[in-house]
Amino acid sequence: MPEPLTRDGAPPVPPRVAAPLGANAETARHTSEARAALFAALVLLVGIALGAAGFFVERGMSTWRPEITRTASGWRIAQAHRVPLSAMALGGDSLVWGSGPSIIAMDLRSGRLKLLGPGPASRATWDPATSRRYVVWFEAQGASAGEASAWVYDSATRRRRQLATLDSVLSLPSASGNLAAWCCTTKGEGAPSIVTVDIATGEESVVAPEYGEPVLDGGLVTWPTRTGATGMPAAWALVDLAQGRRWSLVPAATLLNAHFLGYDLSGRTLVWGQIDPASGRGRVVAQNVDDGAASVVAEVTDGAALSSAPAIDGALVVWAETLANAGGSRVMGRRLSGGPAFLVRAVEASVLSTAVSGDTVAWLAQRGKTTFIETTTVSR
Amino acid sequence: MTSWARRRTPLLGPFGVRVLLWLLVELWILNVADLLLTRYSLAQGFATESNGVMDYFFRSGTVPTVGFKIGMVTLGTLLLWRLRRYRTALFAGILLTGVFAAVVAYQALWVLSF
Repeated sequence: MPEPLTRDGAPPVPPRVAAPLGANAETARHTSEARAALFAALVLLVGIALGAAGFFVERGMSTWRPEITRTASGWRIAQAHRVPLSAMALGGDSLVWGSGPSIIAMDLRSGRLKLLGPGPASRATWDPATSRRYVVWFEAQGASAGEASAWVYDSATRRRRQLATLDSVLSLPSASGNLAAWCCTTKGEGAPSIVTVDIATGEESVVAPEYGEPVLDGGLVTWPTRTGATGMPAAWALVDLAQGRRWSLVPAATLLNAHFLGYDLSGRTLVWGQIDPASGRGRVVAQNVDDGAASVVAEVTDGAALSSAPAIDGALVVWAETLANAGGSRVMGRRLSGGPAFLVRAVEASVLSTAVSGDTVAWLAQRGKTTFIETTTVSR
Repeated sequence: MTSWARRRTPLLGPFGVRVLLWLLVELWILNVADLLLTRYSLAQGFATESNGVMDYFFRSGTVPTVGFKIGMVTLGTLLLWRLRRYRTALFAGILLTGVFAAVVAYQALWVLSF
């Protein structure tokens, strides 16, 4: 007689064995993993979308971005918001201007914009200066702030960095090659000084312990001295940095009682503009800084009026005239190497300032409440 | 855990734990991207660090900055992973990853626009 399998006679319970993992279970695990990854990716995408939306909303609300169009011979940059364009400078392939406190540079080859300043800690800037490689400008917490800082943007490295700290800003900066010049009072002293700064090293040198609004080109620094009621300087002080020589230049071929519009320097040539408010007669004069030889570049008469200070680069001098019928302006040019004055462009607006670098000419103009900058290339 | 405690801190299922793992991996990578983009923007001179603590480390040098930023976020992600049983850890992971993704996207577009 066989023994009972269990003591109480109940049928035996087979041991529980886990079912082997089949293809369905494996697929379900992978599906779950994929769904988890997908959910995490969705969170990532929502975050990215929010960040991108914030960026584009902020960009849309910014007031510094102008409308840019390429023209047949250059660019047209028009004010797109209430803040007018100002303080235009041209150097190499960079066009720089101000828009409110913003300093903006445009690459003339690509039309690409770059907001150079002010930095996050500053709210005020002063007109920038540009050499072929660098843009130099001042920033401060406010226009009346006691302390300002000089900043530089290097177009070769695409970096912006602080160049110097100034106690008080007494002039706009000027830049040429690797040097910048300005007038300021330095910390601890309080007396004004005209200084040059090596942009690459930051090394500062005092050119003259006096007040002046310097313009720098090559190794030459100049500033007007003893200006009269019309603003016309009685003389220019000149310092050759390489030779360490200082001398004065008395302006020649001047108009009597005419208002001084401004001046520019290139190489060994100084150019300036004057306008007689009574007759409207204007004159652009070029003068060699070494021998003092002066030549009249342009006489603006017959109802037309010189409307901006001349600018010079190399042998090319440009200026702007308001037309007799007040219907617009014309930007004019003349090469000191020879030849008559020529029309660069007729502009249906008031030209506020002109600039030249190489064969590129730029002008800042205003029509109604809208300001714009245009550039063109002149043939050699 | 008591049923009362369970009701107060709902637990996370296996799917939620997998999501949390992916989110923490993303968070760690986004943190590295944030560090690189911030470092680049500071080096270009176009930005300042508004976080006082990070500003201190950026001024101290690269090694302390990398050590602090990577270390803090690594500790945070490990803490969240340790608390993976709780649903709150998943919510924290979603929030942190979303915010970090938004910050990094904003920074990347800002850098690219210059």
